[in-house]
Amino acid sequence: MTADTTPRSIDDYLAQLRRALEGADRAMIQDALSDAEEHLRAECAARPGESEEAVLRAIAGSYGSPEDVAAAYRETERTVQAAFAPTRPAVAGASAAAAASPPGALRRFFSIWGDARSWTSLVFMLLSLVTGIFYFTVVVTGVSLSLGLAILIIGVPFFVAFIGFTRVLALVEGRLIEGLTGERMPRRATPTAPGGLLARIGAMLRATRTWTTLVYQLLMLPLGTVYFTVAITLAALGLGLLGGSIVGLLQALGFEVVDGWHTSVDGTPLTGLEALGVGLASLVIGALLLTAMLHLARLVGRIHARIAKQLLVAD
Amino acid sequence: MDAPGTDDISRKFQRDLNAGLVALVLLGVLAETDEDLYGYDIAKRLQRVRDGEALFKEGTIYPVLRSLAASGWLSSRIVPSYSGPPRRYYRITDEGRAVLARWRSVWRDTRDFVDQFTGPTSPETSATDPTP
Repeated sequence: MTADTTPRSIDDYLAQLRRALEGADRAMIQDALSDAEEHLRAECAARPGESEEAVLRAIAGSYGSPEDVAAAYRETERTVQAAFAPTRPAVAGASAAAAASPPGALRRFFSIWGDARSWTSLVFMLLSLVTGIFYFTVVVTGVSLSLGLAILIIGVPFFVAFIGFTRVLALVEGRLIEGLTGERMPRRATPTAPGGLLARIGAMLRATRTWTTLVYQLLMLPLGTVYFTVAITLAALGLGLLGGSIVGLLQALGFEVVDGWHTSVDGTPLTGLEALGVGLASLVIGALLLTAMLHLARLVGRIHARIAKQLLVAD
Repeated sequence: MDAPGTDDISRKFQRDLNAGLVALVLLGVLAETDEDLYGYDIAKRLQRVRDGEALFKEGTIYPVLRSLAASGWLSSRIVPSYSGPPRRYYRITDEGRAVLARWRSVWRDTRDFVDQFTGPTSPETSATDPTP
């Protein structure tokens, strides 16, 4: 039934597979394309002397049409992933606890402390300053050297190596994001187009993803700075308030934690009752702040993962 | 073979059956060998058994390999290749072997149960003979 659209080359097959997977998760599409390319190129290598078209025709029945293969990925992603996902103990525990608890708003608000994803997202926010500085440096150095060397012969291989390196960085960033926020990201690098150096450079320059990857890596510096600052500020403030509340509460009970440490207003130490009030207030505010920070981290993790998916994953 | 109609119906039935069987067969193939295998290799092994015609389309084993690896039943590593993109090699894990042992007995029970109603060796059903 697809006799007239039988793919004539591996690229043709991959293009049809991409069309058949339209609308599916972008990371899954990238995985499916690299799987198919791996297999089809291995098949061609196993039949030296035959054209790609002849090989594709010979294996049309055994490998499956782009539609068959696309259906298999959709089916597997839908059923198998769904069945396997809850076996992760941390996530299963957290969601089970959330389901078991009464739906009190306060309870739900504080249940974020048991959500592993919010903690890992917080780690991502703190880490993004370091990765942001690194990506930014790589891109600025790479672009300026590429432009500077463009008039020399060495400029061309340098540019290719530079873009290749940004792709590896993008894959690593994707793995990091999937590990820390749970958003599905590609598990393999996109295969480079076959052909000579010039053909490869042409494909690199034409691919939107080459440029969006660079944009993402530049963007990571300001974003990373903001993420880091916000996370550190909230964490320090929250922890400081909790620490202060301990001092205040102990003071109310008549202890002096460390010599000279006490709650005071303008140098006048607070009375026991006042210290109790201040201690309780900072305990509540500190706990609320830290909880809000976890919610924010979870939100930032989700939004950032979506940005990363738009910019780092091929269409 | 190319005639539409009844054959389409058989193909759809085969696809429905394969949903769980592909994972079982892949675990079985990888449990039988000490080598690491990559997708193309596994596909060829499946074809050899049936004289060049496997019950599954080769392209459909890859997503299953990925999900088996994601569950920790297969381990995988990537090896660069001269003939194209890097290849992903798979190897069964101990957890995978344990799952395979359980699935094997489920499969035997299922097969025996089905055979009781459809006749184990009727010549017409030879096409669905589950020779591993």
